[in-house]
Order: sequence, then C-alpha cells, then structure tokens
Amino acid sequence: MSEGLWFRAEEWAARADELKADGWRAIDLCGVDRLGLTDAGNRFEVVVQLLHMDRRERAVVHVAAAGDPPTVPSVTNLWPAVNFMEREAYDLLGIHFDGHPNPSRILMPDAWEGHPLRKDYGVGKVPVEFVPQPFLQLDAPGQATTSEGAGRTVDRLGQPEPGEDGVSRPDGAMAPSGAITPNGDES
Amino acid sequence: MGGVSDAIGANFVTARLDKLVNWARKSSLWPATFGLACCAIEMIATTMPRHDLGRFGMEAFRASPRQADLMIVAGRVSQKMAPVLRQIYDQMMEPKWVIAMGACASTAGVFNNYAVVQGVDQIVPVDVYVPGCPPRPEMLMDGIMLLHERIKRGEYDAKRVTA
Amino acid sequence: MSVDADRIVSGFESDGHGAFVESYDEGERMVINMGPVHPATHGVLRLKLELEGETVVRCEPIIGYLHTGMEKECEDQNWRGAVTIVTRMDYLAPFFNEHVYSLGVEQLLGLDVPERGRYIRMLMAELNRLSSHLVWFGTQGLDMGAMSAVFYGFREREILLDFFEMVTGLRMNHGYIIPGGVWEDLPDGWEDAVARILDVLPGRIDEYEELLSLNPVFLERTRGVGVIERDEVVALGATGPIARASGVDWDMRRDAPYECYGDLEFDVPVENAGDVYARYLVRMAEMKQSVRLVRQITERMPKGEFKNLDPKVTPPDRSELGRSMEAVIHHFKLVTQGFAVPPGEAYTSVESPRGELGCYVVSNGGTSPYRVHVRDPSFVNLQSLPLMVEDGLIADLIASIASIDPVLGGVDR
Repeated sequence: MSEGLWFRAEEWAARADELKADGWRAIDLCGVDRLGLTDAGNRFEVVVQLLHMDRRERAVVHVAAAGDPPTVPSVTNLWPAVNFMEREAYDLLGIHFDGHPNPSRILMPDAWEGHPLRKDYGVGKVPVEFVPQPFLQLDAPGQATTSEGAGRTVDRLGQPEPGEDGVSRPDGAMAPSGAITPNGDES
Repeated sequence: MGGVSDAIGANFVTARLDKLVNWARKSSLWPATFGLACCAIEMIATTMPRHDLGRFGMEAFRASPRQADLMIVAGRVSQKMAPVLRQIYDQMMEPKWVIAMGACASTAGVFNNYAVVQGVDQIVPVDVYVPGCPPRPEMLMDGIMLLHERIKRGEYDAKRVTA
Repeated sequence: MSVDADRIVSGFESDGHGAFVESYDEGERMVINMGPVHPATHGVLRLKLELEGETVVRCEPIIGYLHTGMEKECEDQNWRGAVTIVTRMDYLAPFFNEHVYSLGVEQLLGLDVPERGRYIRMLMAELNRLSSHLVWFGTQGLDMGAMSAVFYGFREREILLDFFEMVTGLRMNHGYIIPGGVWEDLPDGWEDAVARILDVLPGRIDEYEELLSLNPVFLERTRGVGVIERDEVVALGATGPIARASGVDWDMRRDAPYECYGDLEFDVPVENAGDVYARYLVRMAEMKQSVRLVRQITERMPKGEFKNLDPKVTPPDRSELGRSMEAVIHHFKLVTQGFAVPPGEAYTSVESPRGELGCYVVSNGGTSPYRVHVRDPSFVNLQSLPLMVEDGLIADLIASIASIDPVLGGVDR
C-alpha cells in the first residue's frame, strides 16, 4: 500500500548514510501512528521525504520504530534540518530518537504528560455548555434600542436593570426567588 | 455662583471630575501588544492608514504592559501561552480592560481540542468579545467603541464583581 | 547595483558614520530571555540569548506558544472541512496552505482539476505571495526603525485584500481552494480589479526600493549581517528566499512545476551574499516577478469549469436539487459524511513565500483524514537563526529575524 522504501530501525542509520552520500537531502520527517491502518505491522513509523536537487527527484522512506518506547536512530548529524522535526515527532507521538542532541519537547509545555497525536489520545474536545446569561444587546453606541418599554430586563450595555436578573422570560413569568449569579448557582 | 460665572464668562468649562477622568481614559487607551495569530494581522491592519486606529488615540501600542491599559488578545491562546497571558495581564496597572478579539480568543473558535484554551475568559476577565475569524478591522473598531462607551459610563469594574 | 551600494557605504563610513564602540566588559555573560511577548519577534517566538555585552554568543529559539493541535484537529474533520483548519497555519499565506493540502488529497483521489481551476489557483497564489511579501517588507522596515515601511506595506496589502474579499468573501483564511478546484468562480469584473492592482503596484514597489535599497543607514544595518553560507543553508534545510539569497538556485515553480507554472515565463532571483540585504533583494525581485506572473495569468485565463464536477466529490449545484434525485442523494452524502478517499499516502509541495510548503496526507479509506502533516517552511527556516546571529549584535538579531520572515502559526501549527 505505501510507496517508497521501508527500513527497519536498526538499518536506518546506515541507509541514511548511503542516501546522503548519494546526494539526497531530507526535506521532511514526521511520525505516523499506524494504529488505525489495516496493514499495521508495527505501530509507529517515521516517514522521511527526500529530495535530490541535481536529479530533480523525490523519494519517500518509511522507518519502522522498534521497541517500547518506540525508538529510531536519529539522523540529525547527517541532516541538521531534521533537528526540530525529530523533536516534534517525539513530543507529539512519543517516538524516541537515539542520539538526538536535544531530545526535549518542542511544541507542548515541558511538563505535559502524554503524546497528543497518538491515536489513543483524545482530541480533547470540551463540551459546549449554554448557561443562562443576560443577553448582551450589541447596539452601536448612541443608537436607540428597538424594544424600548417592552419590559427590558437589561440596559443598553447588557447590565441587568436594578431588581432584575437580566434573563428574558415569557410575559408574566417571575424570576425565581434568590439571586442568580452568572454561574447559574442560587446564592 | 452666578456672580462668579458671569465674571469668568466662557473661558472655563466646569464638569464633574470622574466624568472628566473617564473621558480622558477612553480617549487615549493604549493597547498592549498581544497579537498572537491571524487576528494580530487584522489588528495591525486596524492601525494602518485605511482604517486608522490613530483617530482614537490608540495607535501607540505599548510593548511594556506597565504602560498599557488595554489588552487586545488577538488570536488563539495555547496551553503554553496561557501562563504568559496571565502574567502580562497581572503586570498591567489598574484600570485595565481586555478585549477578546476573534473567535479563538472568545471561545477557541474552530479549535476545540487539547492545545487551545477554550476562551481567554478562562484566564482573564474580558470586557468586550469581538467575534470573527478574523474580525474585519471595522468590527474590531466597533468593539473598541463599545468599550469606550463603557468606560465613559464608568462601568469598568462591573465585570470583576462576581466570581 | 552592488557597485553603487559599495560606493555609498564607503562614503558613509569615511564621513565617520556607522562606527560603533567595540570595547565591552569581557567575560561577563548574561542569559536574557526575549519574548514570547515582544514587538519584534514576529509573533510568539521566544529566544534564549546568551549575551556578552551587546554581542549574541548563543541563541536558542523556543517555540510552541501558538501550538493549536491542528494536525490532530484535521483528523477530527472530514476531508473538505480540514481545509478550514489547514488554512489557518501560515496565516499570511492562507491560499498556499489550502493549495498544498488540496493537491495532496487530489493525488490520493486521482482527481483532475480543470484548467481554469488551475489558473485561478495560480492567480490567487501569486497575489497572496505579493501580500505576504508586503507584510515582510513592512515588518522588516518596522523592526529596523524605518517605520514608514509598515504603513506603505499594509496600504498596498489592503488593495490586494479587497480583491481577495471580492473573490472569496474573506480578507484572510479564505477556505477557497478545495480538493477538486476552487470553491466559486471569479466574479464578473475581476479583470478590471486585477488591472487596477497591476497599474498601481509596480510603481509603488519601485518607490519602496528607492526608499531602502540604496539608503546608507539600511545598507549599514543589513549588509554583512545575519550571514549564512550556502552549505549551511542546504544542511539546515532552509528553502525559499533564504536559500536563494545564499546561492541555492531552487524554486519549485520552475524546477518541479505544479499546476500550470510550466507554461509561464518568470525569472528566479538568486543572490550570493547570504546576508539580510541579499534576502531583501531576493524578496523585492520576487514581488516584481509575481506581478509579471499575474499579468500572464490574467491574459491566459482559460474558460470552462473551475472545479471538478465529479458528484462523488463536489456537491451538485443547488438548482439541480429540484430536478434530480441522484443530485439530492449525492448532496446529502457529501454534506453529512463528506467524500471518502481511497487508502494511500501522498506528499505534495508548493513554493510558498517562505519556502517549500509540503503536505503529507495519509488515508485509511475513510471520510476523515487519517494523518495530515504539514511541512511548514518557517519551522525549518527557524533552525538557521542561531547560525545567523552568532557573534552579532542584538540589533542584528532583530534584523535577521525579520529577514527570515517567520510566521509562528506555521511554526507551531
């Protein structure tokens, strides 16, 4: 399914040496978590995009990360361009790069736990809650509001009128006893 | 009262002190440079000749928070940036105001994920929310003028009363 | 031009200007933090500087203050929706982000884009290159004290943003270039709008060159500053104007043409000095070449479809929905689930204003991307900053950052 050359982690350092000697330069390096792919061999891999400027050719190389934690030899000494890229793969996917001069997190805060781009790490969606708030009337300054005298519970800039709690209700409904704070708690 | 006014004539203007102070405050709000992402470019465009924030006396973006009284949070706030944001806000002197510019600053916009703080009001109290992705310079100016109205009314402490 | 520059600078220096005091207290090093909130770091870039007096001994960029988890967010959207996420990465060149992602998805789908769609994409890309370089021009001047530059740059950019708004509805973060083509056709009257831009812009670019190119203060501050050699550039993977200013003659539009760039004539400016001034010259020349490209694209714009109308990928026109049941079914599927992309992977790249912008997409056959990785040029270019600023002054550091033109949205994604 995937095009390009496939290498094991043990042979990557030697192959990278050969590729560099042949004139290839590394353009991009990223990690992939293959947990959801049907032909998943090992779980983590490192994908390197190569460019040969003289021959005007491109190539792609897959390196399977071995072990737990998944480890791949670092090629920063050959291609200094991949320094930040390997740090990003470590930060977001937890792939360790043997021999990297500065194996530290680069995008997440240093004390972050977990590797966000892994497939078993959730997106981190926060459910959106709607809490009753005084409806903010965004009239332009100086313009009169349209519903003058229609039982306004908020003034022009959205602050509750004295004695009201600012929530619009159908005619006749009373505010519950007790003040309502913006968090919805009764105080 | 009458005799003195007649003698002074039209050479003096009398007003209440707090109205004068509020008018002065709103007329030269100095924003702190807190442009983070795409909204920062639109914020810069608001100060540029086409939309000219200088007519409100606000073209002087101060790099030092001690000299600024308005923080326009323009852009998405990441987890790493959140403590920095709070520190800059704390370093500003009272009275200070905050405008959450753009969808990301108001509610994290399109990014409901692990990396973005879901709305900058989780960290600092916000006075005006300006929606948009990014908001047009005219929309930012509308938000700023709304803030001016608020300052003129002297209501800048209202948001900080409730927990 | 460089003979003039030499003459001007030597005249300037022989008059006693441009000299600075070289002595400082030796042996006392300070570690100073610059940013992330700083007016001259082009966004939320943090630099850890080791200083000896005013000289920068070491510089370490610390990034991540704008990390938005976009690559993870893309996995949560469908293939068409991920365009709106990707476009917000490098926010000064949103068309390029959309373009490279769409090219990747089209390669996986095996989808052809009709010729008009390709020309429209090139038109928006070149105009976006102009607007991005105008911001660079403005910030380069602003950071070095030539504050007029930022007003001029943004004034010109407004004209371009007006055109973008006319075509896409938005000034930034458009969501216009989608897998299959572009979302909507160019509106009537677009030729006049582009003609008005092309009337005004070249003259203004010449004015700005007059303002800065032979300005003795500008020359003093940029020549020999932030130098990076050709082999360092190649090793560090820097691409775009930084590479071309150090003698690397590589431009994807000419050397690995995509869309219809192979049909157009343009030059690729290359300089050899590798300093801030060389990068300035390269970008000013690129602006002129972009104008030339826009002229050619406008003359050659073909008629026809602007997006691939394959109903499995593109929702049918709304007028069809009243007439054809198939159209309704396709529309429904595309709006609720989106289209599915056959399993595979693809890497595509374009020449963005900052260098090679690449996109690596992996599909597992579903309606959501499995992995989207964007190779952002600023992320890689920032690695050359420490080399540029070693043994320079802090003021030179500021000039070098401006000449790299990083966009932190792309760096941190």
